[in-house]
This record gives sequence, C-alpha cells and structure tokens, in this order.
Amino acid sequence: MAVRTAGPSGTLLPAVKDAHSLEQALGLGYRQILLERGSLLAMVGALATAAHRGIAIFVNLDGVEGLAPDSAALAFLATDLMISGVVSVKPNLLRDASRFRLRTVQRIHALDSVGLETGLSSIVRPAPYAIAIAPALAVPQVLELVRQVNDAAIWGTGFIRSAEQARQVLAAGAEVVSSARPDVWSDFRP
Amino acid sequence: MPRDAGGSTYNRSTAEEVPLALRPTLSPARPLAVDRSAGRLFEAFQRVPVIAVIRRAEDLPRALASRVPAIFFLRAPAFHLGPLVWAVQARGKMAFVHIDLIAGLGKDRAGVAFLAREIGVNGIVTSHGHLVAAARSDRVIAVQRLLLHDDLGLASALSAVERARPDIIEVLPGVIFPEIVAQLRERLTIPMIVGGFIRDETGKAAALLAGARAITTSTPELWP
Repeated sequence: MAVRTAGPSGTLLPAVKDAHSLEQALGLGYRQILLERGSLLAMVGALATAAHRGIAIFVNLDGVEGLAPDSAALAFLATDLMISGVVSVKPNLLRDASRFRLRTVQRIHALDSVGLETGLSSIVRPAPYAIAIAPALAVPQVLELVRQVNDAAIWGTGFIRSAEQARQVLAAGAEVVSSARPDVWSDFRP
Repeated sequence: MPRDAGGSTYNRSTAEEVPLALRPTLSPARPLAVDRSAGRLFEAFQRVPVIAVIRRAEDLPRALASRVPAIFFLRAPAFHLGPLVWAVQARGKMAFVHIDLIAGLGKDRAGVAFLAREIGVNGIVTSHGHLVAAARSDRVIAVQRLLLHDDLGLASALSAVERARPDIIEVLPGVIFPEIVAQLRERLTIPMIVGGFIRDETGKAAALLAGARAITTSTPELWP
C-alpha cells in the first residue's frame, strides 16, 4: 500500500484526547500519537502542525467527536490534515479509508471467544495495515488465534495502566501498544 | 409467538423437529416451575463457582453431567431451545440464554417474553439495559454484560449498568477483572461474575481471588 506519511517508529503509541495531551506526548519526544477521543475539530491546528513536522498521527474514528463516518471526513483527514492512518471497528469505513491512502487499523474487541470470532470474520480486504486488539491485556491470550486468520501487525489498545503491562503486551508479540496515561509515556520515553 | 388456548404450539412441535444430534439425553418435558431466585444461584456458587457456556450443542451433555449450577446458551437456535433448556432444568441447574447472540429472536421485549414464558428460561444474558428492564418485568434473572475493551467506554458502560440494575453483572474479558475490580466496587454493589478467555485454572483462580462470585467458561475442562 502506498503511504506518504510517517508510520509508527516506536513501540509505544501515546493515546491523546486534546491539544494539551498532544503537546505533552510530543514534548516527551514521541514521533507518533493516537487521537483516541475528544473533538478532533477543536485541535485541527495542533494536529496539522504536528503532521507537518512528520509526526505520525492515527485517529480512532469510533472515538473522536466532530467527524461523520463518511468519505468527506476521510478526505479531510488524508488531504488537509495529512494524518497517517485511522482506527475503527467498522470494515466499511476502513475500506473507504484505504482509498484515501490512509493506513487502516482494524480494531477487534477481544471480550470472549465468540466475540473474537465475530471480529476476526469481519477483517477487511485488502488486509489492514494493523489489527488493534482491545483490551491490550488480552493480546497474549488471543494472538495465536488472530495469527491463524491474518498476519498483519498486532497492536494492543485499551486499559494499559502501567509500563509493566505495556511491556507484557509487547513481549507477547504486539508491535505497538497504546496507553492514555502520561506516566506510562514517560517510562517509554524514546 | 402468541400462546393458543391449548398451551404453546411451539412446545409440542419442536420436540419432534429437533434433530437427534441436538436432542438432550433426558426427557424434553418442560418443568412445571422455574426457579428464578438469584439468591439461590449465589448459594450454589459457594459450592461450585463455575457457569458452563455452551457454544455448540455437542458440549451440552458434558455440561449436564458436570456439577455446574448454571448453564449459559450462546448462539443457540432460538426456536429449538426448549428441549435444551428443559434438560438443563431437569438436572437441577439454571438455564440462561444470551439473547443478544440468538439468531432469529428480536432483541426486544417480545423476545425476552418469548424466552421467559414460552421457553421458561431461568434468566437471560444481555449487554442492553432495556432488555434488563424487560427481564425484570417478566421476572427472570437478568445478567448484564459489562464489556471492557477500553477506558473510553468504561464510564458510560458503568452508568448503563447502574441505571439498568441487573441481578448479576458479567465482566468481560477475565484478564481485565483483577485490574479493575476496585474501581468497579466503588460504583457498583451488584454481584459480579467474570468471563471471557478464562481457559485454565490460573485464569479461574485469579478471577475468584479478585472477588468474582463465579466464572463463566466454554472450556469443558473447567467444568467440575
């Protein structure tokens, strides 16, 4: 897949929710962030500036406010803001996103085996850039099953509350783990 | 499905239509009374704190032969559930149906009423607050699932559970429960059971140690 913007270069992805937490993560030296929630439209300037500096920005389309889940919003993210990629549980939205040359991260809820099967059966074609398992702590338990279906990179997102937990998830085979807690970001400072 | 004057047409017809492979070993006769006391279930958890989750009909005989006090049906065929549920009840166990995952059944009051009155389940399992309310008005035990995939949804999920006031909360996935139990207890006094990827004794012990009344699992090796 052709990608023109920077990808994640580290193992920890700070999950931010506003311009303040974005500045905090960038201040610690991170070159990649996940906009997990909050109003994207209230921080357009900060996002555009960061993207211009080569920061890889991923946007959780299911969590942020202010955007419609449609092509116009995706075009805005890709061409105006130059963000790197999007995260969603919705296969149709990700299929659209790949047309805008956005990296697609498909989130799968790992709650129980039946729910996981449903999530895995919805994985998009073409294959997503990565599969995000939520909660991240379930990665060790489900990685093998996910690998049987798809060999995309595995991310762990959700409920990471300590650097120790983040390391566990990475050790289990995830390539990226996200956390919304600044104390965890400090511990992984690049 | 409306009841006719002679009782449910459903009850009569399905006993013959259910394929042999799906038929439980015991008589499919519907019990006269259904125990819908959550208190008695909690007493039973003190002896055996495990609920068997049935994903495939083949697993049912093993669950019936085990000492689990309750069985959850997931993804079962709604209109062929009767004999399966009655076989569970004939063994002195409680039968719960996961209404969100049942194909063919409306996720609404009529769907709950069908399970409560026509099938005669002991309780239902759902993620939806409005179905908990429906269960209450039909006097079946309501188990509400608290799905913990990220911090983002936690606050709204907790509010939803507080509003709905189910008899039991099922927290998923199991690995999160010890991490978050203190936070849950600050808000909730409703008894909690834990499920989702509990596949060995270690996972079971961790959940029970953290304060779960019982675990739910589809792994037959964990059914005592």
